Amino acid sequence: MSVAVAFGWRVKWASGYWLMLTLIALFAPVLAPHSPQMQDLAHTLQPVAWLPGGNWHFPLGTDVLGRCQFSRLLFGSRVVVLVAFLAALGSAVIGTTLGLLAGYFKGWIERSIMFVVDVWMAFPAVVLAMLLIVALGPSLGNVVLAIILVDWTRFCRVIRSDTLQLANQPYVLAARIAGASQLSVLCRELLPGVLPTLIVLCSLQMGSAIVAESILAFVGMSVGPAEASWGAMIAQGLGYAFSAPWLVLPPIIATVSAILASIMLGTGLRYAARTTSSRRVSREPER
Amino acid sequence: MIAAKAHGAPGRVLEIRGLSVDTEHAQVLQGIDFSLEQGRILGIVGESGAGKSLLSKVLGRALPEGFRVSAGSLSFAGQDLLVCPASAHRDLLGKRICFVPQDAQQALNPVLSISQQFNEHFERLGLAPGSWSAMAQDALRSVQLAQPERVLGQYPHQLSGGMCQRVLLAMAFASQPDLIVCDEATTALDPATQLKIVSLLRDLQRDRGTAVLFITHDLDLAAHLCDQLLVLYAGTMVEFGSTEQILSAPGHPYTRALLNARPALTGDWQALQPLCGQMPSMESLPSLEGCRFAPRCGQAGPTCQQPPSLQQQADGRWLRCCGGQWANAVTASPASMDARYALGLLGSAPPFLRVENLGQSDRVGRWPNRRLEPRLQGIDFSIAPGEFIGLVGPSGSGKSSLARILMGLKAPDTGRLWLNGEPLGVDRASWERRRQAVQLTFQNSSTTLNPRRTLSELLTQSLDHQAVLRSERKARAEALAQAVGLPLELFSRLPAQLSGGQRQRLNIGRALCNLPQLLIADEIVSGLDVSVQAQILNLLLALRREHKIALLLISHDLGVVRYLCGRVMVMDQGRIVESGDTAKVFSAPRHPVTRQLLRAARYEVEHA
Amino acid sequence: MQISRYRGTVDGLSRSLIPLARLPVILITVAALVFVLLRVLPLDPAAMLLSPNATHEQSTQMRQALGLDRPIFVQLWLWIRDASRGDLGQSLQFDDSVSSHILHALPVTLQLVGCGLLLGIVLGVASGVLAFHGRNTPLRGALDLLNGLALAIPEYLWGIVLILVFGITLKMLPFYGQIDPRFQVPSRTGLLLFDSVLAGDGAALGSAAAHLLLPATALAMSIAPPLMRVLYSSLDQAFDQEYVHYGRLRGLSERRLLVHHALRNAWLPVVTLMGVQGGLLIGGTLLVESIFGLPGLGNLMIDAISSQDLPMIQGVALVYALAVLISNTCVELALVHLDPRLRSL
Repeated sequence: MSVAVAFGWRVKWASGYWLMLTLIALFAPVLAPHSPQMQDLAHTLQPVAWLPGGNWHFPLGTDVLGRCQFSRLLFGSRVVVLVAFLAALGSAVIGTTLGLLAGYFKGWIERSIMFVVDVWMAFPAVVLAMLLIVALGPSLGNVVLAIILVDWTRFCRVIRSDTLQLANQPYVLAARIAGASQLSVLCRELLPGVLPTLIVLCSLQMGSAIVAESILAFVGMSVGPAEASWGAMIAQGLGYAFSAPWLVLPPIIATVSAILASIMLGTGLRYAARTTSSRRVSREPER
Repeated sequence: MIAAKAHGAPGRVLEIRGLSVDTEHAQVLQGIDFSLEQGRILGIVGESGAGKSLLSKVLGRALPEGFRVSAGSLSFAGQDLLVCPASAHRDLLGKRICFVPQDAQQALNPVLSISQQFNEHFERLGLAPGSWSAMAQDALRSVQLAQPERVLGQYPHQLSGGMCQRVLLAMAFASQPDLIVCDEATTALDPATQLKIVSLLRDLQRDRGTAVLFITHDLDLAAHLCDQLLVLYAGTMVEFGSTEQILSAPGHPYTRALLNARPALTGDWQALQPLCGQMPSMESLPSLEGCRFAPRCGQAGPTCQQPPSLQQQADGRWLRCCGGQWANAVTASPASMDARYALGLLGSAPPFLRVENLGQSDRVGRWPNRRLEPRLQGIDFSIAPGEFIGLVGPSGSGKSSLARILMGLKAPDTGRLWLNGEPLGVDRASWERRRQAVQLTFQNSSTTLNPRRTLSELLTQSLDHQAVLRSERKARAEALAQAVGLPLELFSRLPAQLSGGQRQRLNIGRALCNLPQLLIADEIVSGLDVSVQAQILNLLLALRREHKIALLLISHDLGVVRYLCGRVMVMDQGRIVESGDTAKVFSAPRHPVTRQLLRAARYEVEHA
Repeated sequence: MQISRYRGTVDGLSRSLIPLARLPVILITVAALVFVLLRVLPLDPAAMLLSPNATHEQSTQMRQALGLDRPIFVQLWLWIRDASRGDLGQSLQFDDSVSSHILHALPVTLQLVGCGLLLGIVLGVASGVLAFHGRNTPLRGALDLLNGLALAIPEYLWGIVLILVFGITLKMLPFYGQIDPRFQVPSRTGLLLFDSVLAGDGAALGSAAAHLLLPATALAMSIAPPLMRVLYSSLDQAFDQEYVHYGRLRGLSERRLLVHHALRNAWLPVVTLMGVQGGLLIGGTLLVESIFGLPGLGNLMIDAISSQDLPMIQGVALVYALAVLISNTCVELALVHLDPRLRSL
């Protein structure tokens, strides 16, 4: 069952970025010059190394508590990588299962699942996530859980409409005639069919998860004051935006580039999926 | 009625000389040479892949990317269309050259009403706004649409395929063009509607003296409608002449093969002699030097190494062939069959499937309009081993519903089924028994095959859930492929990489995996080229000889039914209205529906 | 023609009844969900209002006064009953009715959402059509790049970036509060722009508009980039359709095909997107209000969450849910109107 897939430049660049970020997250203790929590009160608000007043001991300067920004940036990547992958995976698993069930079995199963989805989505995602954090307490695990619980509905809706389309195809019926059980039809015929959409959604979801975490961190409801998180760095650095821009700019750039990478991955995968399913000849080529 | 435009001396509407279209690898249209006079209908006939649609695309300047006109001239009413500026060409479209596409419903914007589409068209023609409404109604009346005011207010999805096609014809004729190009305009319609639309086209064309270019793969239809025929093979024009000449004495071996591959509706039963192989695809064209038909031609000689030139024959037709014009092409002739043996009229074993008083209704409409609509009523018949039965009827008569109930995909509301003496219920054991004995192939071969699985996996799909060794499975796949005539090289291909005929063979092979007693074939050869169709039909006959499989064939093509089936059942509105020996029913039909079907098959139009 | 249009409307109306009928059901379920969620939380509002060394009886008394000792379903029923009358309880922070705070904050948020939506739609549609019209020119690549960047920046970051650039560095626009404190506008509707118009105060109108510009732009940036993408891709798909090919064969100009045919069909996925983005937009107001210091529902919610003011959280959450549901229903109704295929039952 091998099909040659054409991956364009987007997928390559984005995968490269994520690989690099994952490596940074893994080796942060080795790469970072200091511990992210260490406060050096003698050297607060030091600027970036190459500006007057800075030194290479703190490459990106320090914040108001004397913490090394560079180390915090490196350690913050752990939060980002974990949140992105785990949250995307978790929402994918829950959303896809329920979406497949709703789209295939229809009837009251579909109606009840979609009712739950409608109710869930009637809540602005940010508010729901905040409430969950307040309830569960701020920690990395709870942040991931909150994002999963908020975002699974997006998967469910899209996968369900995809499944509805696919389940109508005669080859699903033909599989039943050939002797497949319902479970087998779901796994062998429908799941591979929704896999392209699923993969694209997952990569986009990584971006939304990062956004969600940074919003939560901004309002102080993310991983807690001890751990380093890019969103917290932005929140804390905002007050010094004019006097000490090195506090707020690197985490902004880092967050934006991570989100950009996940969007690029999603777009690139979508192009790749289109060229292999080859439905229309005149599809626009990837630029 | 809009009066026919007064013309001067009849002139040539379209003149094409030496037209060639190239891609970067091959010449996909070679040396097309013909002319179309005013008021004549020319049929361009070719199997799929021959390049007939390319011709209409050249006219409309809508060639896909990578295709370009490399040689030749195309003049329309004296104007060279290939070199004229884009604005001048666009000006002609819709006014003097009109196109009628294949999928009528898709060709109309779904969010605009019919009257809005007409108004846009009239605005383009430059007609006064006040007259639009009256003209639109006139146009709809001229294509025999009842209640024109009502139709004008509707949207395309509310009209049937046939009605949409009539609307397009109305728009085309309303511009009073010099030339109308119909690109497979009736292929998507059912045969009865097809015939009506074609007759309508002919009437309108005669009234107004418009020239028509009718592109189709259906040689019979073209013969019925057109004055002249042009036969295309692999991008080359092989024969061009008047219809009577070509039908009575076809000159080119390919034309002869096309004519011989159609199952006849009348006369003695004769084994079909299809051409072996298939038309070369675009990728393999560069490797063909000389005459492109030579590999399949029975009398290819050394002269066929050079591309033959177009020559005019004594009777006025044009032929492109170097040798053996008057001999027969090589055919894959099946072992000579006795007609009665082929049709399974010999030997009588007791029936293995019995259906008694089957009935089924569907719940339609939403509250408060919910009602029960009967799909099947009082169905009674039986099938013996090795028997081929045809099931015919107008669309909506319940043939597909019956097939699904027999397969167990739907449960009947009344009646009983017996398989091998034991009754069939809706429980799991019945389903297993049924699955072993009965298999169903669907019409649209491309959507019934999982696009992500390879050919060998699909052939043995029913072995997915059985504990079978890989070697056994492979052996079974090879045996099945051989039985249905699929070469081993195709084993790792995906369905999208197969041709229509190959996919249909795959469908049949898959159904045969467990050696069922009954194969239900729902429109198994519709949409296939004539020669491929003939190959599949002979394959089914061979399978019956070897495995004694019974077949329930659902088809709208009565010629196919006559060729394959010993018995036929005619359905109308959920009931079997006539059944019996095929030869007897077709020669002396008793029920009006049967008579109607036979008339349509013989291209006799009723003027109601 | 008249008859069928009427019939179409009747079909469309009855088709619309379904989403309208579902609205109260979902609303009540959401309310129940919020209620239950908050009750399950380890928050004790009673403890908040008392001093740390309150006695057990005092805490029991407080709980009784707040009604926290009754079974949860009774509490839910009482709350729903009061809410349908407009009484959303008493705020724990401010010790006055939740509804009054909400009524003060709502127009501010509405104004922001309205302007943000308008700006976002205009920007998104204009850039989408422009990108498609110039799809064979470098313009498309440039717009794509900008679009990608804009998508990657969440709206609160947009707010920050806009403040940094226009507010602090260039000092072009104000970025805190709703209006210059010098101006006093009598509040009639609560919508500052309207009120200034009603009062005839041009300078105040100018100031209010200037203060609204940056936050509305930040919100607009959450709609415009996805809108541009969806519009572009649906125009691309529409141009692939048979009716566009056939329109060309009928001699229609490219411009006519784009505007009258493709665009009319391309609206449909865009409107569907608006339905999806509606919820995100309303959620986005939370942070934008906080960053720009606008006294709207968002700020109210953030304060309520941090001070664990349960009745306030419930009330504002309910209002949010209502807003999202109303916008979803409007979108569904709009779709039925735009697409005749959805009208027939």
